[in-house]
Amino acid sequence: MPIVNEGLEREFEWVTRPGEQKHISEALDLADEMMQEIAYQLIIGKNLEVDRLTKECLDKGYTANHILDNGLLNGMAIVGVKFRDNVIFVPEVLVAARAMKAGMAHLEPILSASGIEPIGTVIMGTVKGDLHDIGKNLCIMMLRGAGWVVHDLGVDTAPEEFADAVMEFEAQVVGMSALLTTTMPNMGRTISYFEDIGLRDEVRIMVGGAPVTREFADEMGADGYGENAVDCVETAVSLLALQKELA
Amino acid sequence: MPSTKFAGTLTARERTLRALRGEAVDRPPVTNPTNVATVELMDLVEAPFPDANRDPEMNARLAATGYTQLGFDAIAPYFSIIQESSALGCEMQWEGKDNWPTVRMSYPIWKTVDDIKMPSDFLEHPDNRTIIESIRLLKQEFGDEVAIVGKTMGPWTLAYHVFGVEPFLLATVDDPPMVMDMLHRLKQFTIEFGLAQIEAGADVLTLPDHATGDLVSGEYYRRFLMDLHHEFVEDLPVPIMLHICGSTTDRMPYIATTGMAAFHFDSKNDPQEAMDAVDGGINLVGNLNNPVTLYSKGPEEVRAEVFKCLDAGVQLIAPECAIPLKTKLENLLEIPRAVEDWAAEHWDYSEN
Repeated sequence: MPIVNEGLEREFEWVTRPGEQKHISEALDLADEMMQEIAYQLIIGKNLEVDRLTKECLDKGYTANHILDNGLLNGMAIVGVKFRDNVIFVPEVLVAARAMKAGMAHLEPILSASGIEPIGTVIMGTVKGDLHDIGKNLCIMMLRGAGWVVHDLGVDTAPEEFADAVMEFEAQVVGMSALLTTTMPNMGRTISYFEDIGLRDEVRIMVGGAPVTREFADEMGADGYGENAVDCVETAVSLLALQKELA
Repeated sequence: MPSTKFAGTLTARERTLRALRGEAVDRPPVTNPTNVATVELMDLVEAPFPDANRDPEMNARLAATGYTQLGFDAIAPYFSIIQESSALGCEMQWEGKDNWPTVRMSYPIWKTVDDIKMPSDFLEHPDNRTIIESIRLLKQEFGDEVAIVGKTMGPWTLAYHVFGVEPFLLATVDDPPMVMDMLHRLKQFTIEFGLAQIEAGADVLTLPDHATGDLVSGEYYRRFLMDLHHEFVEDLPVPIMLHICGSTTDRMPYIATTGMAAFHFDSKNDPQEAMDAVDGGINLVGNLNNPVTLYSKGPEEVRAEVFKCLDAGVQLIAPECAIPLKTKLENLLEIPRAVEDWAAEHWDYSEN
């Protein structure tokens, strides 16, 4: 159905790239008034409203999958676009993420029990010696919102910890973050460690963080680079496809 | 507009202070609002991390190399952003020789505005004491020869450290008046530590306050910080260099109204666009790229970047932020050399 929620209609105006307009518009076609309201309340960061609406929808018989796809994820798609285009910044993304979490608290147990296959599994961590995690956390939020299973290793992550997690969770993708110029080289050291133990071909590696550039990522031998959290999801998707192709 | 010419020869200190006051200089100064310590310099003067962060004599010895070895016009005796937060009780990760100490922000020490209290031993805490004593030692050794730059963290950065980045940023949406209250109360630490450094001999203060475009909007800067930063100009009676990493061009017009002496800007901002954004309202310091140019490239690329800043009219030349600890000395030595060559070529001293 067309967008009937006035707030959501205004938010949709921030989506200006034709491809994205088409994609989000098609997704919103499947969203009725309730789903549109959930999407809108998520975008403006109203976690209590999203909590209430999600419960209400489940009570009315909507499936968890339907609420996730047509309510929460439609909202997150617009949040991602606004963040990438500097319409909103981290605080606004954080409140949207909190709202997403409020909805997911009701949906996750149902989705887990139903055994739906995730898109893929990714290991995320800030590299050794670096305690900054906000960029990584935003990436994790976007990845989870896009249907990935994410194992967050936190900050100050040693190469061995990345490798152990890849083996334990059979992940296809690893994401490393760094904020400091002193710790950026630890991305390269982690990649070397993967080579040394014969794990490099089993997984695709993406990197990001404020001082990290595509040039630096290439020099270190990373498979992908993301400039921001939206990029991170796109990079993970393309790396997963590459990994499947190579397997 | 570019700095104006001074006919005689100035000391490094005079050059720095005059440029910060917007007065004529013999050449644009090379400065270091954030630190220029490297592993090579640590080895040279036997002052390695983490000890050089905690021992006043080692700290002063390493800091002095910015002037004695690199030829910069200032000495900045601090190598991290942790002192005040450590004194307030935050957990530290001291790291080793090849990394900066960091505050463990995942373990915030405070939750509410009422938790903000001045510890009775704030200035006596070893990490604050190190900087204050180091400034005293440097002033004794160098007198009026070179500018001594102190550093006192702004309330926004302190809030990240004591409340945690995510909880604090969420609070800016949930309860803006409370956040304003937090920032006003945190200001006392900035002032107290800054005044102690001035009393010890600091000629200039760097005031880092990371309201960066990578995290928050320019509008946030205007709403939460612009007036507070203006107040620091009256509270701290030396020239202040505000430092904010990341993309900041959108907030530079606001920063230009604070009355601070200079804004230290990141290489994510084009020098010419930055000059246009501040429109003569504040001096700019910067903005040589760290990870690519200073760390990975050679003197030729460093020189080109120095020239780009000077051509745009940037008044004080400096790396954009604390340099990578394994930066090659030849790249750092090239900075003052390039500035001198640029000035010799572009400034006609016979006009004076």
